[in-house]
Amino acid sequence: MIDRRHILTLTALGLMAAPLSAMAQSTDKAASFVKSTGDKLVAVVNGPGSISSKRAAMTQIINADVDVDGIGRFCLGRYWKLASPEQQKQYLTLFHEVLVTNITAKLGEYQGVKFTLGRSKPQDEEAVVSTTVERPNNAPTAVDWIIANPSADPKIIDVVAEGTSLRLTQRQDYGSYLTHNNNNIDALIAAMKNQISQSG
Amino acid sequence: MRSYLSPRVSFFGTQRLLLPLVAAIALCTSGCATRPPADDPDAIADFEQTNDPLEPTNRVFYAINNGLDTVILRPLALGYRAVVPGQVREGIHNVLANLGTPVVLGNDILSGKPRRAGDTTMRFLINTTAGVLGIFDVAAKWGYKEHDADFGMTMANWGVPEGPFLFLPVLGPTDPRDAAGFGVDIAMDPFTWVGPPSSTGVTVFKWTRYGLNAVDSRERFLDPIDQIKKTALDPYATFRSLFRQHRHAQIEELRNDHRATVPAWFPRQPATPAEH
Repeated sequence: MIDRRHILTLTALGLMAAPLSAMAQSTDKAASFVKSTGDKLVAVVNGPGSISSKRAAMTQIINADVDVDGIGRFCLGRYWKLASPEQQKQYLTLFHEVLVTNITAKLGEYQGVKFTLGRSKPQDEEAVVSTTVERPNNAPTAVDWIIANPSADPKIIDVVAEGTSLRLTQRQDYGSYLTHNNNNIDALIAAMKNQISQSG
Repeated sequence: MRSYLSPRVSFFGTQRLLLPLVAAIALCTSGCATRPPADDPDAIADFEQTNDPLEPTNRVFYAINNGLDTVILRPLALGYRAVVPGQVREGIHNVLANLGTPVVLGNDILSGKPRRAGDTTMRFLINTTAGVLGIFDVAAKWGYKEHDADFGMTMANWGVPEGPFLFLPVLGPTDPRDAAGFGVDIAMDPFTWVGPPSSTGVTVFKWTRYGLNAVDSRERFLDPIDQIKKTALDPYATFRSLFRQHRHAQIEELRNDHRATVPAWFPRQPATPAEH
């Protein structure tokens, strides 16, 4: 009896171990991906150079490591299906610009930033990597990075700061704007253009 | 998405038990959001997820609050930041947080989280003494980190649903559960009940504390709020979303705090070998 139970346990453990180690591998990859992207971002933020050169460096990192198109589609929510291919294209181009503008607008605020890597865990098909972001004269902030395709082609698809998801907040902002503008996607596109021209 | 975004099942079953909601329904006759037509399920799903049936009324209060903030609270917070050095502001913030520990402790206990209650007790004892009346957060360095607790969170932990979104004058973004919780927190606060109401010293202390609390928290949010107003297409909807998400995260953290009741420093019994 005892032996059989042991064999059963061992077999069960063996069966579990294979997917577990694959999962652990992909979360490890996600963690090192966040580390390298984070290091690049911190180097740009704290490094020398003008705002425009920093903006260019930032754009490069965002294009390489962030799934901007995916986030953009998510942020449009149910309106994505309603948009014409032309509107979708226009919207995504503007979304890229808005994202970069919003991030670079915070550059000064983040001077002296550093981050420490916390634990990472799988979540559905994605991996969540927790970090703590510290800025001078600010309480440490818990920031989670959601990584899609952690093992093959890792890309950031969301940033969750103190429990607030960047893409969900943006989606609800756009959703509300569209609801109050007769679901007119051209109105959203015009508003985004206006936003970029004002901050530029 | 994250699990806390899914609707929570509660033993109360219905939200109608909440008195504020009844008041809200009464208000609804004056300004309610229109439900999208029944043949648009996606729009209805969005409408239900937003859960803001009083949106038109809420937006009026948002505009009023925003106006008051622009002319009163924001300038005060800017002045406070300009005049008071950062380290002094940090000290004032810590003193205010220390004065808030009785309410935090009460809610830790009511939530049934002994380790949180222990952290709060240690924080109060350490910071009041070694931290010089709460000026320095020594306890955090010694491993007793600060956490949030209020009666709204306590009720959430008991299973009380949040109800629809509300934007109230002065209080800002909230919901029936958390607005009620705010009232209970005031009642739970020993400082609400100290001294004879006629005493000038007590009155001055109370109002200085309320005022400083408002300016301190506004100062801490100066940059993020300015940023949101600049970048959001609909700041009201953005604040609504952020409030809810942050609230859900706080509650989720409370729920997931399953630390063992025996603290790490307590001598452990040697583990008995497992018998087969």
